[in-house]
Amino acid sequence: NSTKNQSSGINAEYGGVVLGADTRATGGSIVCDLNCEKIHYIADNVYCCGAGTAADTEFTTKMISSKMELLKLRTGREGRVISALRMLKQYLFRYQGHISAALVLGGVDVNGPALYTVYPHGSTDKLPYVTMGSGSLAAMSVFEDGFKMGMNEEEAKNLVFHAIRAGIVNDLGSGSNVDITVIRKGNVEVFRPYQVVCKKSERAGDYTFPVGTTVVTSSTEMVPFSALTVTDEEVMEIS
Amino acid sequence: TRQCLSSGINAEYGGFVNTRSELTARHPLEQSEALYDFNQQKIRLGMANKITGSALPLTIQAERACAARIGRLPGLRSSRLHFEVFAGTDETITIEDVFDTPSPWDEEPQYTRCNNTA
Repeated sequence: NSTKNQSSGINAEYGGVVLGADTRATGGSIVCDLNCEKIHYIADNVYCCGAGTAADTEFTTKMISSKMELLKLRTGREGRVISALRMLKQYLFRYQGHISAALVLGGVDVNGPALYTVYPHGSTDKLPYVTMGSGSLAAMSVFEDGFKMGMNEEEAKNLVFHAIRAGIVNDLGSGSNVDITVIRKGNVEVFRPYQVVCKKSERAGDYTFPVGTTVVTSSTEMVPFSALTVTDEEVMEIS
Repeated sequence: TRQCLSSGINAEYGGFVNTRSELTARHPLEQSEALYDFNQQKIRLGMANKITGSALPLTIQAERACAARIGRLPGLRSSRLHFEVFAGTDETITIEDVFDTPSPWDEEPQYTRCNNTA
């Protein structure tokens, strides 16, 4: 019973990287989590959006995050996006696509901002803007229309927001809020949520029963626990 | 992966029988996972052999084979640090470090991994 995590993981690149995702996790046609976190931490300067099976993306990103930290301790340098990419790629290829994790990897390192997409079988692409997940077509259409090279941060955030929103509104696998993570040289800003697009509606009917609906035939008084006294204690070994 | 002997002595076969591999359907990755470390080693040393010559891979293989045999008395756990340095697993975390690790509440002695490919 896997919870399919269908995110519109969308990213735009300027002097940094903007990652965006929705917050719905589904199990079949049931929404399992209204506000799940799809933008995972890999390193201080590298974050990863995950689409596909929630457990797979969660565990894979945690694994690669640990490896990146160990590598950072080994080399004494800040981690690079391509290191995380290579680790992800080799990890996913080893399992031949059985690990269903479609990831969008973004970050800023000594080589500048970088944005990659990683498919479950291990193939990768380096692109200025990418989308993954069930809402990726809706989001990509917004990107194709609005993207231009050399956008500033506000324009990029706005475009990513609209792309995710398109996924949320038009795709059943995406919903709830838009999360955005802005990665710049030196710092990261997390907007969780950037905007609430779909709120859970208020329940229309009232299902509470008025007091007196069930007829009480007899009642006994409950003894409070503090009123009990301990008379005998025995220690038993667990075999 | 652990290749466990999962049945008793069978007179017909004249010894222990590994029933699991014969009866159940195998996962498509079982074979590749069992041989993963060995194949990775083969690829890397093969590349080193072609690039730098056979001296380096031969010495590495020899020392790794010795390191695989370093250990304590039979049945005692060992960190196998020397071997781990050759395997490259001392500086990284792998799936074997997360899943299916021996439980601290196990009563029987904890053996090292059976798949001792040197």
